[in-house]
Amino acid sequence: MKKSLLAMVAALSLGLGGGAQAADTVKIGLMAPLTGSWASEGQGMKKIVELLAEQQNAKGGVLGKPIEVIVEDDGGDPRTASLAAQRLTTKGVAAVVGTYGSSVTEASQAIYDEAGIPQIANGSTAIRLTEKGYQKFFRTAPRDDEQGRMAAQTIEKLGFKKVAILHDSTSYAKGLADEANALLKKKGVEVVFFDALTPKESDYTAILTKLKGANPDVVLFTGYYPEAGLLLKQKKGMNWNVPFIGGDATNNADLVKIAGKAAEGFYFLSPPQPQDLDTPDAKAFLADYQKKYNELPPSIWAVLAGDGFRVAVAGIEGAKSADGAKSAGYLHKDLKNFPGLSGSIAFDAKGDREGEVYRLYKVDADGNFVMQKK
Amino acid sequence: MPASGISPISPIHSASPLVEEFLQQLTNGLAVGGIYALIALGYTMVYGVLKLINFAHGDLFTYGAYLGLTLLTSLALTDRLGFALGVLVLVLMVMGLVAVLGAILERAAYRPLRESPRLSAVVSALGASIFLQNTLMLIYGARFQVYPDDILPTATLNVLGLYVPLMRVLIVLASVGMMVALYLFIQKTRIGAAIRAAAIDQGAARLMGIDVNRVILLVFLLGPALGGVAGLMVGLYYGQVNFTMGWVYGMKAFTAAILGGIGNIPGAMVGGLLLGVIEALGAAYVSIAWKDAIAFVVLILILIVRPTGLLGERVADKI
Repeated sequence: MKKSLLAMVAALSLGLGGGAQAADTVKIGLMAPLTGSWASEGQGMKKIVELLAEQQNAKGGVLGKPIEVIVEDDGGDPRTASLAAQRLTTKGVAAVVGTYGSSVTEASQAIYDEAGIPQIANGSTAIRLTEKGYQKFFRTAPRDDEQGRMAAQTIEKLGFKKVAILHDSTSYAKGLADEANALLKKKGVEVVFFDALTPKESDYTAILTKLKGANPDVVLFTGYYPEAGLLLKQKKGMNWNVPFIGGDATNNADLVKIAGKAAEGFYFLSPPQPQDLDTPDAKAFLADYQKKYNELPPSIWAVLAGDGFRVAVAGIEGAKSADGAKSAGYLHKDLKNFPGLSGSIAFDAKGDREGEVYRLYKVDADGNFVMQKK
Repeated sequence: MPASGISPISPIHSASPLVEEFLQQLTNGLAVGGIYALIALGYTMVYGVLKLINFAHGDLFTYGAYLGLTLLTSLALTDRLGFALGVLVLVLMVMGLVAVLGAILERAAYRPLRESPRLSAVVSALGASIFLQNTLMLIYGARFQVYPDDILPTATLNVLGLYVPLMRVLIVLASVGMMVALYLFIQKTRIGAAIRAAAIDQGAARLMGIDVNRVILLVFLLGPALGGVAGLMVGLYYGQVNFTMGWVYGMKAFTAAILGGIGNIPGAMVGGLLLGVIEALGAAYVSIAWKDAIAFVVLILILIVRPTGLLGERVADKI
């Protein structure tokens, strides 16, 4: 398995490396999980970036030169990622897009930073990534604490006064719960319950009975979809009709399979699904994507890789140079309201994306995820 | 809000909501405890006869859940035979198949090591557990599998102001029924007497003309059959099965067996129900996140006072 993967990566890089010397091009790297458990995400990232590069080249490329995309596989694994990052730095890329998992991105950050190459991550939401002071690190994905802010705001907007918060003790879910808890208290919303369940169990009625005793208007559950599905199902069995709001870890079609009819009315926060992107620009691009690949992008994270590519090109064009420090400086200071596929893009001093990415979804009677109007 | 007008006759309902919540938690605990108890029986029977902790038992429970799902969906039993008969046939099929699996496990993983040091058998049990779990993952995939959700009646009983899903009551009744049947079988029949004799002293039992190998085989048929049914019930009721689910349930059931006194059949039943109730009440009145810790603290306290478990005095008899 490992061996064949290495061989494949080696063959791929040799093939690309050979062609690269011939023409004078601007090279943009893509580091993506083409294999491993996130392979479907990685394949989508590759397809999106290659199509965007094709379209950009049809418009004349950047700085008068065609763009060449160099793809490296990170296997969704930090060790493979650091090797991939080293290979990309030796190939003279002007910027790198990627990658998906936070720990995988983390393993490559220092390598790109030392080589002076701007990196634009697309799926990594862990807060710590932008707290390290890397001046050439950006991300088109939202940060985890952005979701907490959105959760608090949504609960306030929907008019709930007494909130119960339930997490599952994972660092992601607990972080989100803590963030929402602090913000809700500041807004004067009463948090009547705050505790954690144990994931992977099948009976949560004891927890639900206790939750019910606290008598909340709404329950915010920040964990993952298997537990969310069971909670919804068992809540219905108890004849309790309180609404539930979930975080983006509940955005999975299996939720409806587990909860069945009980999923109806469940709210969750998530970046928009690709088919819900509503700007004319995004719609036109998705149509092109569907025409070329006969499918929709696998998730929003792949679309955010596309945005990463567009931003990288904009940085080079804006700085009128393929030099990493110059284009990164442009992205920090001068890029404002850039029209991305997932909405407008700008970066703050840390390299985090400014503006709201999260949307509110609700499950309808047929189990479809329906995006709610802002 | 319980519909207060429906059951004005109930004296309990007029009591405070605190009493109501307590009773609700008690029923929650009993339902989970019934499942623990069924699985615990398998641990305790094998330990009673072989002094072996069958770590693969939790995985046989998972096999029950997966086999039930496959048989249910591929044979459409409830469509053809109606709900009650369909589920009954399904229970019998799952019991039979998991029992056969248990017997194969005994032949392949434990019998060759019968005369070896006890540690070898424990390592073999752990290996069998890993093998069974990964086989299941390779066959069905690592994702959650979901039972169809329209086969069970979803009626909810309103007992004295408490909402109890009908299926929950049925699950508790079925587990208690099976436990009582097993107890009577062990206590009142000749075969049961043979099992008890082999548990006390295998050598002496052999001298009395008891075929100990067949007794052990029987134990490996009965325990997995009950564990398999527990898996089926979890699948049917909770709807979501996963190839690692046997680990959590197996661990809890093993704890329940020790709590009640490992090797003792009524002890496994009491231990299972008690563990379920302790967990539910711990979650309700202390902290949800700490409920497992509470359950294990109670276990340690009981073992300090009674090192052989609640009903474990039979161990002392032997000496």
